[in-house]
Formats: sequence, structure tokens, C-alpha cells
Amino acid sequence: MTAYLLRRLGLAGLSVFGVVTLVFLLIHVIPGDPVDAMLGETAMAADKEALRHQLGLHRSIAVQYGRYLRRLGHGNLGRSLHSSRPVRRMIVARYPATIELAAAALLLALLVAVPLGVAAAARPRSFVNLASAGVALFGAAVPSLWLGPMLMLIFAVWLDWLPVSGRGTLAHLVLPALTLGIGMAALLARLLRATLLERLHEEFVRTARAKGAGRARAVVVHALPNALLPVITAVGLQAGALLSGAIITETIFSWPGIGRLLLLAIQTRDYPLVQGCVLVIALTYVALNLVLDLLYAWVDPRVRLGGEPA
Amino acid sequence: MLDGTRRVSALSIFLVTRGALCLALCIAGCERDASTAPPGYAVVGLDNGPVTLDPRYATDAIGSQIGDLLFDGLTRLDDQARYFPHLAADWNTPDPLTFEFHLREGVLFHDGTPVTAADVKATFDSVRAPDSRSPKGVSLAVIEAIDTPDPLTVRFHLREAFAPFLDATTMGILPARAVATSPTTAIAAPVGSGPFRLVEFAPDERVVLVRFEHYAVRPARLAGVIFKVVPDGLVRLLEFRRGGLDLIQSAIEPDAVAWLRQQPHTEVLTRPGTGFQYLGLNLSDLRLSDIRVRRAIAYALDRKALIRTLLRGLATPASGLLAPGHWAYSGDVPTYGYNPKRAAELLDEAGYPDPDGDGPAPRFRLSYKTTTVDLRKRIAEAIQAQLARVGIALDIRSYEWGTFYGDIKRGNFQIYSLSWVGVADPDIYFLTCHSSQVPPVGNNRGRFVDASVDALTERARHTLDRDERARLYAETQQRVAELLPVIPLWWNTNVAVLDTRLRGFELRADGSLRSLRDAWIEER
Repeated sequence: MTAYLLRRLGLAGLSVFGVVTLVFLLIHVIPGDPVDAMLGETAMAADKEALRHQLGLHRSIAVQYGRYLRRLGHGNLGRSLHSSRPVRRMIVARYPATIELAAAALLLALLVAVPLGVAAAARPRSFVNLASAGVALFGAAVPSLWLGPMLMLIFAVWLDWLPVSGRGTLAHLVLPALTLGIGMAALLARLLRATLLERLHEEFVRTARAKGAGRARAVVVHALPNALLPVITAVGLQAGALLSGAIITETIFSWPGIGRLLLLAIQTRDYPLVQGCVLVIALTYVALNLVLDLLYAWVDPRVRLGGEPA
Repeated sequence: MLDGTRRVSALSIFLVTRGALCLALCIAGCERDASTAPPGYAVVGLDNGPVTLDPRYATDAIGSQIGDLLFDGLTRLDDQARYFPHLAADWNTPDPLTFEFHLREGVLFHDGTPVTAADVKATFDSVRAPDSRSPKGVSLAVIEAIDTPDPLTVRFHLREAFAPFLDATTMGILPARAVATSPTTAIAAPVGSGPFRLVEFAPDERVVLVRFEHYAVRPARLAGVIFKVVPDGLVRLLEFRRGGLDLIQSAIEPDAVAWLRQQPHTEVLTRPGTGFQYLGLNLSDLRLSDIRVRRAIAYALDRKALIRTLLRGLATPASGLLAPGHWAYSGDVPTYGYNPKRAAELLDEAGYPDPDGDGPAPRFRLSYKTTTVDLRKRIAEAIQAQLARVGIALDIRSYEWGTFYGDIKRGNFQIYSLSWVGVADPDIYFLTCHSSQVPPVGNNRGRFVDASVDALTERARHTLDRDERARLYAETQQRVAELLPVIPLWWNTNVAVLDTRLRGFELRADGSLRSLRDAWIEER
């Protein structure tokens, strides 16, 4: 287990290094002079020079890279060009909102997907399966920029149960989480159903059935834990979709998170802020996948013992 | 003045379903829920949050709008863009190079300290300082020195007689202590002397103001104002429909106005505004340098049809940059009504015959740059169709705002469409038409050069007498309308949607929210 843990940590470290380097290069791969792109061609020469110095762009790439890494080490992400506030403080103020929304969406996705997937697998030729397939298809097909306002219309304006937008109470969280999580719920439900059906035909489940376990018990107690592995993998892969989907969902729901911050930063060509947001989103993705990999190892002994996962 | 910045909505695709939604909204019957705002507060919906509220740095529309409630400048603008005493009781100009302002007695900042001449001097000096990064520094460059003979008198000494100087005196005043602690950067939570004071500023989320009880002139009647950022246009309407907003004044889609008029407890106010939409032409292009071609384009446009169909009537055909109602506006200028026959004749005269009459081959092609905003693209397509009728082919290119604006400022275009909003001082004619202001220096983006316009706009900015200035600008407007460096399209109509519990709100031509100073809430 220790060897596995070390190997995974090493890999995660490598990913972090790659992310950090790519984010650094972001400002240098833009065609033309980044200072021109930020201030516009007509800016005063003195202002351009000042910004060039502020960003350290007059030095060689290697020196800039070294300085950048050193600053990162101190947690310094620079200042926003647009509002001149420290980028780190802007991100820290927004990060909890994004995590709150992503976690709620994930939780909601699992709450919908597991019962739906299990029910569909338990009765593969029934109405339940058909309904779950329908829900899954709907969830996967509907774009959040349509679903969001529709949910608002139904649950906020017509039924008057929930607020329209903004962040505050738990009630504010429901609609954006639903909008963000429904696609993932659909995917997970179908995935769970497929793997469960596969497992149900394996010998250990047949043994359980032979020993007198009912179909429901066979599915939930015996097959489900074994079918969770691909689901965990999918959650990790989909985390990226949650974080990037947040850009649209946060804008629709006036949700003060990183996604909306990133969108504004791009619109105002605020490179330090774009870099900071991309960095934080990418690091979150790496961290989440590390945690899920460790979870994977814990669930499946073959992984931590070095064998091939099924 | 600012160029009308139009953000690219990530959700413009959604507009497609708008029709269906409006229908659905119409049959929705729901009562207003108890507002989450404290009693006596008005909630204003915004499409964007302000970048900063520091009057030395705020240049965006919404930053200035909120600033209008937080701060009092030495002077203020009335609806005709004339300057009136505000924080100053009055001013005089003993000689053309000196402006002397006398402050009102007993005016307090929100922290309870009195407003003095030293505060005024400190605020202006920090903008003028060489290391200041304030974008307003340029307009204060004409100031030679500021002195304060006594605590209630401020004297500005100018380098030359310069009428647009008064434009700078509308800037809000900060306490000298605050300026000293933050000389070169914007203050996050500035203290002012206006009728409301700032209690919360969450960037891109909300701004909360409460009534300042010791406001000298006339205390506000609202207990407070909450500005709430709701980026998506449709969601803003849903929030309003549910009763979460009392007022929306920004970015209301023309198509939504008819629906809004039918809603209960809803009042839609419209008023001719000062925003000026135009077609910019590059006069260094051989064809566009010919006045006959420019006039032909003006004659070929059916502005009334564009306004009726695309803007739902929410605009007025324009004759020039200054709108009627501005003190310097002159209606005595050549105009170009829709006349495609005349347009074709002018093009023939200019030496661009139509190769195949009514056939598809154009006389010549021009490129037309615009943004990716849905409405802007539809306007571009309509103009393309109208110009095609007289044999001019347009290639429409739409760009993301930053690229578009960069190209325009560089003068890299043949035709583009943009608007001027918040035009106050007629010196805008110098900034957009004087030969010294061509790119990359200034805003004469089409590189228009005319000796008489140069002379007129120079004289006007150095003339302090308002009537004499008005005469000079009347002549300027006539000359410019004759030579058409840009083709005027229309003046926008301002639209505000308010919940009827908000009383006493008046829509202003310049789009400011100043009348919230006198508004109040009357619960149903």
C-alpha cells in the first residue's frame, strides 16, 4: 500500500508541475505582445513599460519562470489588472462557492444515479428501466443554459418554492446543483446499470442467489460494491465537467464562484486572474483524482497490491 | 464619455427560446413574495458589478451610477448637460485661467468630519500626480496648480482657457486622509459625502448602500439601495417577475419590453436618451474618402425600418452626436432620409457604376466589423441587405469585444458600428473629429481631416461663454453633418422597468440613477 501511495503521490506531483508550467506558458503563447493585448495598442508607452515591469516581462523566460515558481511557493498569484486586487484574495473569496456547488451537484448526482441505476438493473425489462433510461437520456441531452432558466421558471416563478438565483441559504443551492448535476447523474445511472447487469451474471452473485438471497439482496449487497469501481472512475473523470460546467451554471444563477470569475477575467483580458483561476481549477482536478485513486485502492485490493484491476 | 461596451453573453444561444419562454411567463400567475430586502430598501438589478467605487478611478457606467449616490462633486450635470453647483455653493472665473469654487458650509463626510477645501485639493492632486494610474489624469492635465485660500475656497489655476475643464469638476470628493493612505491605488470602500453611504461591496455580487442621515442638502427617502448583480438578461427578468428586484435599467432586450408592460405591479418607463449609434467609416479608404460615396451610404439606409423592426421602436433617427436636449445641440444640419435612387445616382457620379443593374454583381465590396452580440449582428445583416439594394456589398465580420475594440481604436477597419454613451461636454467633437486625434492618439478613428472643423473645435474648447460655444458647435455640427465622417444611425431610448412599490423614480436622459436620491418605497 505504501509503495502504491508513494507512486500515486509522485504522479500527482508531476501533474501539478505540468499544470503550473502550462499556466506559466499561457501568457507567452498568446500571439503578439501580451502587454499590448492587455492594455490595447493605443496605451501610453509609459503605462506599457510599467506593466511590463510589474509583470516582469522584460526579463528572459528562464528568469521569469524561476521568479514565477518562487512567487507561487509563497502563495503569491500577482494582482488583477482590472481591479488591482490580489488574485489570491479574489480566488479565496470565490473558491468556497464553487466547491459548495460542485459538491452539492455531485451529491445530488449520486443520490439520483444510485437508486435509478440499481432499480434499472434489478428490473432490466421493466417500466423502471425504461423510465430510468428516459431520465438519463434527458439529463445527458439537455444543455444547462436551457435547463437552468426552465427550472427557475417552474420552481421559483410558478411554484414559488425556491429563490431564482444568487447564493445564500440552502434553498439557493438546489436549482444550480440540479442543473449542474443532472448530466452527471444520467451518465452514472447508465454506467451503474450496465456494470450491475454484468456482475449479476458472475458466479459470486449466482452463489449468493443459490444460498437463498433474493434478487434485490443479490443486487444491493453482493453486486453493488463490486460495480462501484467504474463509477468512482467516472466521478473522477466527470469532476472536470463539473468544474468547467460551473462556468455556465454560475453565470446563469448569479453564483459568485471561480467559473464566473474566470469568465469575467477572460472578457476583460485580465491575464494574472485567468492564470490564477485556471491554476486553481486544474489543481482541484488533480487533487480530486488523487483522492479518488486512493479510494479506488481502498475499495479494490488488487489495485493496491499491484495487480490489474478488473 | 465611453464607448458603449457590450459584453458577449455566453448565453446568447438561449435567446432562441425566448419567445416560448415569454409565452410561458405570460400565463404564469404568481404573487410577489416578501422581498428579502429590509423595509424601505430598493433593490436594483445589474448586468455587471462595478470595478471600483473610488471616484478617481471609476470610469465604467455602473461605477459612475453608484458613485452618483455615494458622492457629491463640486458641480453636477443637469438633463441638458449644463453644470450646476453641487458640493460648491457657487463658482466664479475671475479670469479665464482661474476657477474659484466656494464650498457649502456644514457639509459632512459619511464618517462625520466636515468637507473642506483641503479634501478637494487632495482628491484632485492625487489624480494629477505623475505616479497616479487614474484614467482621469489626462483630462486634468490642463490644471497648473490648486490652492486653498481658506477652508471653504478652492482655486484652480489652468494653463490655458479651457471650457471642458468643468467636466472634471463633477468628480466625487474623498476625504484628504483617505487619499493620503491610498495615493496611487483605488480605495475599496471609499467614504463620500453623498446621500447614501457604502456598507458592503462584494465585487461582481452586490453593493449595499444605506441612507446617510446627516446629508446636508435633503436626506434621501429610501432607507437604502441594494445593487444586485444578475449577469444573465433572462434571469434578471425572472428575478424581477418574482419580486426580487425593484428596478432594472441596464441591458433590457427590446423584445422583452412588450411582455414587461403586461406584468402586474410593473411600470415600464422610456425616455429618449443621449446614447449615439453610428457607422464609422475609414476615410483613408479610396472609395470612402469620396464624399459622394459616404452620402450614398447615408441615403441607402432606411433607419426608420431598422428602428421599427430590430429595436421595437426604442430609438430615434439621429442627425449627429449630440442629442436634442443637450444645450449645444443644433437641429439645423443636413439630414439624409431614405432615398435609394439618390444613393444610386451618387454612386454612378462617383465613378462606381453598377456592372449589371439590378443583377447580383456589386459596384464594390466593403468589410463591416461588429461584435458577437446577437442584436448587433442582426443590425449588421439588415444594413447589409439595405446597402445591397444600391449595389454595395458588405462582408460582415463579427469579433469578440476585445479584438473588435482593439481594431477600431487602431483604425483598422473599413466600416464598423459602435455607440457613444454618456456624452456630456461637446468637446467630444474635438476628440472625435480634430485632425490631431487620429489613431493611435485619439478617437478620430476614421482619420477625418477638415481645416474648418479643426478651427471650430479648437476655438470652442477655449471659449468660456456658453452661448458663444453653442454657436461654434452649431457650426461644427452643420459642417460635420455635411461631410459625414461617420454616418449617424440613431439615439437610443432609455428603458427602465420598475416595481410599482418604488415611487418617485424618474428616468434620466443620461441613464444615471441620480433620481434614486428622491425615490421612496411604498409597500402594497
